[in-house]
Amino acid sequence: MSLLGTSVPPAGTAPAGGTRRRSKWSFDRISFIAVFLGVPLAVYLIFVVSPFVQAFYYSMTDWSGFTQKMNFTGLANYGRLFSDDIFMKAMGNNILLALALPAVTIVLSLVLASLVTVGGSSRGQVKGLRNSSFYRVVSFFPYVIPAIIIGIMWGQIYDPSNGLLNGILTAAGLEQFRSFAWLGSENTAMAASMFVIIWGFVGFYMVLFVAAIKGIPAELFEAARIDGAGRFRTATSITIPLIRDNIQTAYIYMGILALDAFVYMVALNPGGGPNNSTLVMSQQLFSTAFNKGQFGLACAMGVVLAIITLAFSALVFLVNKLTGGSKDTQ
Amino acid sequence: MNIQQTPLERRRFLGGVLAAAVLVPLGGSLASCAGGGGGTTSGPSGTVSDANPFGMADNSTIDAVIFKGGYGIDYATFAGDLVQKNHAGTTAKVAASTNIAQELQPRFVGGNPPDLIDDSGANLIGINTILSQLEDLNSVVNAKNLEGKVIKDTLYPGVLAPGTFGDKLASINYVLTVFAVWYSASLFEQNGWKVPKTWDEMLALGEKAKGQGKYLFCWGKEAATYYLELAIASAIKEGGDDVRLALDNLKENCWSHPAMQSVLAGMEKIVKAGYMKPGGSGTAFTAAQAQWIHDESAVLYPSGSWIENEMKDQTLAGFKLTGAPAPTVTSGSKFPYEALHSAAAEAYIVPSQAKNVAGGKEMLRTMLSKDAATNFAKNQLASTIVKGTIPEDGFGSTALVSQTKMLDAAGKNIFTWGFVDVYGMNKDLLVVWNTFLDGKSDVATLTSDMQKITDKVRNDSSVSKVEVK
Repeated sequence: MSLLGTSVPPAGTAPAGGTRRRSKWSFDRISFIAVFLGVPLAVYLIFVVSPFVQAFYYSMTDWSGFTQKMNFTGLANYGRLFSDDIFMKAMGNNILLALALPAVTIVLSLVLASLVTVGGSSRGQVKGLRNSSFYRVVSFFPYVIPAIIIGIMWGQIYDPSNGLLNGILTAAGLEQFRSFAWLGSENTAMAASMFVIIWGFVGFYMVLFVAAIKGIPAELFEAARIDGAGRFRTATSITIPLIRDNIQTAYIYMGILALDAFVYMVALNPGGGPNNSTLVMSQQLFSTAFNKGQFGLACAMGVVLAIITLAFSALVFLVNKLTGGSKDTQ
Repeated sequence: MNIQQTPLERRRFLGGVLAAAVLVPLGGSLASCAGGGGGTTSGPSGTVSDANPFGMADNSTIDAVIFKGGYGIDYATFAGDLVQKNHAGTTAKVAASTNIAQELQPRFVGGNPPDLIDDSGANLIGINTILSQLEDLNSVVNAKNLEGKVIKDTLYPGVLAPGTFGDKLASINYVLTVFAVWYSASLFEQNGWKVPKTWDEMLALGEKAKGQGKYLFCWGKEAATYYLELAIASAIKEGGDDVRLALDNLKENCWSHPAMQSVLAGMEKIVKAGYMKPGGSGTAFTAAQAQWIHDESAVLYPSGSWIENEMKDQTLAGFKLTGAPAPTVTSGSKFPYEALHSAAAEAYIVPSQAKNVAGGKEMLRTMLSKDAATNFAKNQLASTIVKGTIPEDGFGSTALVSQTKMLDAAGKNIFTWGFVDVYGMNKDLLVVWNTFLDGKSDVATLTSDMQKITDKVRNDSSVSKVEVK
C-alpha cells in the first residue's frame, strides 16, 4: 500500500506491522465497523431516510391515508399545491417567519449576551453588567417552559376582554385597546405571534452566545479596549467575527423552527388567524392529512417544506461564505 | 502504524456507506409501492337468532374504540357489560381515545380496524374518506332492540340523516343534538324581554341589551361558524328545502339564494350596530362562552345542546339555561318558526374489515336499547336518538326540558345538513366568518368568499361528492 507507511516504520515493529496490514478484515475491525457505523447507519436508514423516501413516493399518489389502495398521479399534487392560494399564503407566512424570526432573535440575544459578558464597567477586568448571572438565569426561564404552554399562556395574555396586556394598556389610559383583538386583527396577529416565539427563544440563544463569547480570550477584549474601542466597536469588530460560526448555527436552527412553528401557531390561532394571516404550512399539512383525508397531498406539502428548509440552510451557508465567514475557521 | 493512509481509507469507506445509504431505501421504497396485502374478512360467524340477529360468533371479542370527550366512555362500557351479560362468553373491550384519526389511521391501513368506533371529536376521520370501507348499518336499525321493537321506530325523526350517504347508512350518530339560540330565562324574565323570532326583533333586542350595558351576541375565534350554523338554519326555515339542497350539493351560487342573503343582511345590521361583543376573533371560544354564561355580558349564544355540559362548571347560579329555535326573516317563512335544526352527533361506525363486524353491530344494537339509552340520558344529561328516555323534569335540567319541548313543537319539521363536515370546510369558513363578525367585511364579500370555498371543493375532482336528496 502506501510507500509512506512502510518507509518510516517505527523501530522494531516492521514485521508485525506487515502481517497486521494483510489481515485487513480482522474481527476487531469488523466488529468496530458493525457497532460504530453499522448500527447507527441502520437506525438512521430505517427511521429517518426510509420515511423520507416513502413520503416522497406517497406525495405522487392520491392516497387517502386510510386504505391500502392508491393510484400513482405523478406530479399532480405539486401542481395543485402551487395553484392553491391558501397553501401559497401559508408558504408566504413561513418565509416571512424565516426572514424575521432568526434576525430579530439573534440580534436581541447577541445584544443581551454582550451585555452580560463584556458590557460591564470599563475599569479593571473585562466583565459583564452587575448581577449579570442573575439576568442570565432569568432570561433562560422562558426556554424551560414547553412551547405549548407558552402558546396557551400568551393566548390568555392577548385575550381582548380579560387579558393582561389590554388590562395594562387600558389602565394606562389607552382606551383604544379596550377589547382590542391582538390575535384577531390582520395587522397585529402575525407580529403578536412572532413576539411570542422570540420571547421564548431569546434567552436560549443568549446563553449559547454567552458560552461562545466566554471562549474568546479576554486579552483580545483588553487589547481592543486599550486601543480605544468602545463597547459597540468591540461587539462588531471582536465578538461577532469570532463567534461567527455560532451565529450561523443559531441562524439555521431558528430558521428551521420558523419554517415549522406549528405548536405556537396552533396554540395561538388554531384556525390560521384572521384571513389566514398566521397560517403556516405545517398546520395546513396536518389538516389536509387528518381532517380532509388527503395524505398524498399532505405528503407533497411535507416535501415542499423539506425542500424549502434545505434551501434556507444552503442560503445561510452561502451568505456566510460569500461574506468571508469561512476565513475564520481555516 | 501507517497513519498517513488511514484518512484516505476512511473516506473511501464512508463514500461506500453513503452510496449504500442512497441505494437501500430506494429498493425499500420500490418494494413498499406494492402496499400492504389487503384481505377480505369474513370472521367466524355464529347462528342467527332473535337474540343474536347479526350472527355474532360465540366466545368472540368485540373491540370498541370510543372517543373520550364531554360524554366520557362510561356509557359505552355500560353497553359493553350488557352485551357480555346477554351473550355469555363474549368479551367487550372498550378503549378510550381522544385522537381518533391519528390513532386509528395505521389500523385502517393495516387492515385490522376496531369492530366499533365512535368517530368524533376535533380529530375525527372524515366519513367521506372511508365511506367505502364501512358497513351499511341499515341492518342495525332494521333489527329489533332488546325489548323486541324495531330500532328504526324508536328513534327521533331525522336523526339518521347525518349518517346517510346515498342509500348507505354509514354511521349511526348516537347523541341527539338540538341547535338553538341559548339564553338565560331568569335574565329575560327580569328585564321583561321576549325571545326574538325574526332578525328585526333581534336587532330591537340588541338595542334593549345595550341599554343594560350588555351585548346581544359574543363569539370565539374557533367557534365563529356557530353563527354560520345559525344563518343556514334561519335561511332554510325562510327559503325551504331549496336552500338546504343547494348548499349540501355545493351548487353554483348557493350562497346567493334570496333567503340566505336576507339572513346575512339581518346579521350584518347587528354587527354594524355594534351589538356583537368586540374582540371575538381574538378570544378563545371557551372564554367567549364564559362571557355569556357567567359574566352575562352578552345575552344570546347560538350553539348545539352540548353547551350545557361544556359550560357546566362556569354557569352562573340561577341562570336557567333555555333554548329557542333560530329566527326567521319574515312571518311567512316556508318552515314555521318552530322548525328545528337537529342532528345527531357521536358517529358510530363499523368498518367492513373489522374482525368481528357482527359483534360491533350487536354492541350498537345494545346501545340503542332502552336500558343503555336511559343510562346515557341520566348520567350525561343529554338525550340519545332513542325517544322517551327523558322524564318530565329533565333530571332537573332546564336546558334538557326546553330541548324536549322544542323537539315536540317542531314535530316533523326537523332538518340538518352535512356539507361543512363532510368536505372538511369548517376551517376555511371560520376565517371568513371571523372577519365578518368583526365588522371587517360585508355581506357581498362574505358571500363571494364562501362561494369560493364551496366552488373549490366542487371543482376538486379528487374529492368524491355525496349527493343529498
